[in-house]
Amino acid sequence: MLEGINKIGDLEWEVPVGYVPDMRVPGRFFLSRALAETLEEGAVRQLANVATLPGIVKHSLAMPDIHWGYGFPIGGVAAFDRTEGVISPGGVGFDINCGVRLITTPLTEADLAGKKRELIEALFSVVPTGVGARSAMRVSNKELTEIMVNGARWAVERGLGTPEDLIRCEEEGAMPGAEPDAVSAKARQRGMPQIGTLGAGNHFLEIQVAREIIDPEAASVFGIAEGQICFMVHCGSRGLGHQVATDHLRTLESALGKYQIRLPDRQLACAPIDSPEGRAYYGGMACAANYAWTNRQVIMHEARKAFTQVFGIDYDEMRLIYDVAHNVAKFERHDVDGASMEVCVHRKGATRAFGPRAPGIPREYAAVGQPVLIPGSMGTSSYLLHGTATAMQKTWGSTCHGAGRVLSRSKAKKAIRGRELREHLAQEGILVRAHRDSVLAEEAPEVYKPSHEVVRVVHEAGLSGIVARLEPLGVIKG
Amino acid sequence: MSFEELDHTADVLMRVRGATINEVFADAGRAMFHVMYGPCEDRGIARQITLEAEDLESLLIDYLSELLFITDAENLVFCTFDVDLQGTRLSAVVRGEPFDPARHAGGTLIKGISYFGLEIVKEEDAYVVDIIFDI
Repeated sequence: MLEGINKIGDLEWEVPVGYVPDMRVPGRFFLSRALAETLEEGAVRQLANVATLPGIVKHSLAMPDIHWGYGFPIGGVAAFDRTEGVISPGGVGFDINCGVRLITTPLTEADLAGKKRELIEALFSVVPTGVGARSAMRVSNKELTEIMVNGARWAVERGLGTPEDLIRCEEEGAMPGAEPDAVSAKARQRGMPQIGTLGAGNHFLEIQVAREIIDPEAASVFGIAEGQICFMVHCGSRGLGHQVATDHLRTLESALGKYQIRLPDRQLACAPIDSPEGRAYYGGMACAANYAWTNRQVIMHEARKAFTQVFGIDYDEMRLIYDVAHNVAKFERHDVDGASMEVCVHRKGATRAFGPRAPGIPREYAAVGQPVLIPGSMGTSSYLLHGTATAMQKTWGSTCHGAGRVLSRSKAKKAIRGRELREHLAQEGILVRAHRDSVLAEEAPEVYKPSHEVVRVVHEAGLSGIVARLEPLGVIKG
Repeated sequence: MSFEELDHTADVLMRVRGATINEVFADAGRAMFHVMYGPCEDRGIARQITLEAEDLESLLIDYLSELLFITDAENLVFCTFDVDLQGTRLSAVVRGEPFDPARHAGGTLIKGISYFGLEIVKEEDAYVVDIIFDI
């Protein structure tokens, strides 16, 4: 482990006040010895930098997929006092409400035999992917306003989903406090042609099989069984969200002097939660988050139609288990030293993992906690977990969001050939469809930490419990 | 005039070097479009950008963010960047072509420009800046 960091539990580490100047609270992160080998000093420094922000409560936290980002580390979680704290776009990231949803189907692997290629091509043709992707759906400026306020409900009201979909979605697909006036004309212009598009990078739509059920009781509550074919959607708020982040980061950065906030990193630009700039960022971020939920809803709808077309199954037989956000800031009530306190929880590359009977989770899941979805990297397993009471106590009800990179894209491109990788995955029964093979190399399985190790750590640390392991069978990428 | 990709685990880190600040800004744009789309030709499409900021670093971020906005909103790909800086005022003419899926698809989408570590440094015979593109 790096120097100056203290071990405080089997999988828990503390970054003491003083690791960087002006820290207000200690940092804490969760990591196994194996994962510690790839821990970057820059990531720990970023975790410590977050601890310097005004109004931070208890700890600056990071999940076991911690890695070096900008502003907050990726895998970072921090809560700020509602009255004295700040809100920061650097604690959310450019892709506001990047997230994941998981849908079950009535199919088994045997049903896919001989039809997988057809399914992948059908999905690739209805879900636009990659840079420059445009939606077949055109929305007006007025409709875009409705999307930003009503989120996934907008899509369901137009027949692009079912009312049950909304119940099984974080915030029921629309977080409160959206302020369309805080979204610039530029953001709107980018958002209008991109509803229902996947984007690029690590975003994907994947066909999976529930290969292993680890917690049968929770699996039964979530409605997933061994051998069942599922699909997973991983994407965010597209150009609209990127523009909202860019616009407000700039405003907040210019306002630092006004609020006399001194920062170790300009990317941590922030403003008091109750300032005009802070409120505007929150309102704009909520609009982008709601856009992202609509986006995933529309993509799921198109994918359901493709499954129906290829296999003749009913639309209603494809059940959304849950949809989680892993880049967002939210107002939540948590217990702090025995008292209930309202805080603004930032999760940047971290997933909400509310435990049993926590407010805001679907009633049907109350006994086991909310479903948590951890996407694997291309070719590796994804996981379904459940939230826990321990996460509520230790991490503001949060857990990891993915594997976390270990190899840069430039090194990956030198070391790995996209075409060979595609052929190798095909031999393993995983069909990959993208515009170019070159994009595959950057997202190859070996550029990420092993997702099973990251998931094992959150399971053993009690931050969430593993329910099922899902193996990829086919994927479309940007 | 040059740019090179350095190692960065999560994002794309580019080191841009130029004899003048104008060159640094031009090559920063070129580097960004190289990451996103690869090859590009000037086919008569041009856009004019004028901006002002409180310092050069903020101006660089505003200029690259503006290019990101134009490429995403208008589906245009740029390859030449004529930049003229007067203090912290910028005027630029960028030229290129419409996005063509056959030639431009399959690149890396850039979501934003990070302030982290962004500082334009004057060396003996050149200006240098390291830019993190969030992808």
